[in-house]
Amino acid sequence: MIEMYGVSKAYNKGPVALKDINLKIEKGEFVFIVGPSGAGKSTMIKLLFREELPTKGQIFFCGKNITRMKPREIPYIRRRIGMVFQDFRLIPQKTVYENIAFALQVVEAPQREINRKVPQVLEMVGLPHKAKAMPGELSGGEQQRVALARAIVNNPDALVADEPTGNLDPDTSWEIMKLLSDINKRGTTIIVATHARELVDSMKKRVIQLDKGYIVRDEARGAYRK
Amino acid sequence: MRIRTFGNFFKEAFVSLFRNRWMSLASIGAVAASLIVLGSFLLLSVNFDHILVDVESQVEITAYLEDTADDLDIARLKGELSGIYGVKEVNFVSKEDAMEEFKEQVGKELLEGLENPLPNSFRIKADNPQDVPEIAQKIEKVEKIDQVKYGKGIVEKLFNMIHWARIIGLVIMVVFAAISIFIIANTIRLTVFARRREINIMKYVGATDWFVRWPFLIEGMILGLIGSAISIGILGAGYNYIYDVVKLNVPMISLLPLSNFYDYGLAFLAVGMLIGALGSSFSIKRFLRV
Ligand SMILES: Nc1ncnc2c1ncn2[C@@H]1O[C@H](COP(=O)(O)OP(=O)(O)OP(=O)(O)O)[C@@H](O)[C@H]1O
Ligand SMILES: [Mg+2]
Repeated sequence: MIEMYGVSKAYNKGPVALKDINLKIEKGEFVFIVGPSGAGKSTMIKLLFREELPTKGQIFFCGKNITRMKPREIPYIRRRIGMVFQDFRLIPQKTVYENIAFALQVVEAPQREINRKVPQVLEMVGLPHKAKAMPGELSGGEQQRVALARAIVNNPDALVADEPTGNLDPDTSWEIMKLLSDINKRGTTIIVATHARELVDSMKKRVIQLDKGYIVRDEARGAYRK
Repeated sequence: MRIRTFGNFFKEAFVSLFRNRWMSLASIGAVAASLIVLGSFLLLSVNFDHILVDVESQVEITAYLEDTADDLDIARLKGELSGIYGVKEVNFVSKEDAMEEFKEQVGKELLEGLENPLPNSFRIKADNPQDVPEIAQKIEKVEKIDQVKYGKGIVEKLFNMIHWARIIGLVIMVVFAAISIFIIANTIRLTVFARRREINIMKYVGATDWFVRWPFLIEGMILGLIGSAISIGILGAGYNYIYDVVKLNVPMISLLPLSNFYDYGLAFLAVGMLIGALGSSFSIKRFLRV
C-alpha cells in the first residue's frame, strides 16, 4: 500500500533528514516509527502525506506515485489518509460535533452522510456525550480522541499519526493506542511516529527504527529498542 | 460545487466582513474612491468627445482668393483644393455672400452704402479635424490663394489637452486601483490570518485549493461590489446635478444624458468585483502552500 524507493530528503538549508529509504507497508499493517529526536520521523510522515516532496526517490500510495502527482490531485490523495498530530489541531471556535463534521463538509459530503457518520465515529471514540462541547472544555486525551474521530470519518485507507500521545499522560496514551488498534482491526493501515517506549514494547507491532536519517532496524513484532 | 456549500461560503464571508468592519469600510472606501476618479475622467472624456464632434464639425479653413482670380480660376481652384488629401468639402463663398453674412452679424444699417471690401473665398472642411493644420499649409502654397485662416492654435491645444487629460486620468486610475487592491488584500489578510489554523486543517483533511479560496474571494468581491455600487451612486447623482446646472447656464454645451452611461455602471460593478478578487487572491496565496 505504501512503498518508498531510494527516498532521500534534504531540507533547503538544513541537513539531510532522510537517506536512501526503501520501505514497503502492506494494507492493514500497524507500524511504529521510532528513533531519537531529529532522526527523521516527522519528515517521513510529511513525505507520506505529500506535505514535503523527497529530494530523491519515489513514493507510492495505493499504487499511485505521489511524488509525480500534480498539485491539484493532492487533496484527493489526502482524503484517503487520516492525519493525527501531537497538538490535536482542533478548531477552538467549533464544537466537537462541528469539528468532525468539518472534515466531511470540506470534501463536500452530502448532509445525510454527515448526519449519519459523525455520531457513528463519536460513538467509536467513546465521546457521544461530548458532541456539543467545545475543544477547550475537554481533556487532552478527549481532544485527541476527537482528532482521531475526525481522521477516520472519511473512511481513509491509512491513518498517519505524528506523536499522537506526545502531550498525554501514560494512561491516556494507552487509551489512544487501544483506539488506534481498534481502528486498525477494521482494516485501516496505521503508521505512528512515537517516543512512547512502553507502548511500543507492549503492542508488539512492526517497528521501523530511524537514526540520523537511515533505517537502522525494521522488525515485524519489535520493541522500542533491541 | 454544491449550492449549499456556496451558501456557507457567503455566510462565512459576511461574518468576517463584520468581524473586521473597520478594515472592510476602508476597503469599500478605497474602491469607491478609485472608481469615482475613474468615473469622473470617463464621464469627462466621453462628454468631451461628444462636444468635440460639434466643435470638430465647425473647425474649417477659410482660404481667401487674390483679386485677380477670375471665374475660370475659381472653378480650377475648387477642383484642386478638393483633390488635397483629407479634404472633405470645399464651398465657394463669393464676396457678395460674405458681405451679406457680415451684415447679418454686424447689423445692416451700419454698413449701408459701404463698398464691399471682402475678397472671394473658399471654406474647406477636413475629414479629420486633426489634419486641419497640415491641410492649411498645403493650401497656402496653391497659386492665386492669398491668405489661409483657421482656428490656428485652438485646434492643436484642444487635442493636446484631451490627449493629456486621458493619460493623466488613466495614470491616476491605475494608481488608485492599485491602492484599492492593496487595501483589500490587507483586509482579507486579517481574515485569512484569523483563520489560518482552519485553513491548515482544511488542507490536511483534503480540501481543494478552490474550496479554501472561495470564501475569501467572495469576501473580497463583496467589498469591491459595495465600493463600486457606492461610486456609481455618487457619480450618478453628481453627474445629474452637473447636467442640470450646465443645461440651465451654458446652453451652448449639451452634455450627454445619464442614460447614455448605464452600460458603464455594469462595467463598474464588474471592475469592483475584479479589484476585490485580485486583492484577496494575493493574500490567500501564501496560506495555501501546505
Ligand atoms: N522544515 C524544516 N526545515 C529545515 N530542516 C528541517 C525541517 N524539518 C525538519 N528539519 C530537520 O530535519 C531533521 C529531521 O527532523 P524530523 O522532524 O524529521 O525529526 P524527528 O525524528 O521527527 O524528531 P523529533 O522526535 O524531535 O520530532 C532534523 O535535523 C531537523 O532539524
Ligand atoms: Mg517529529
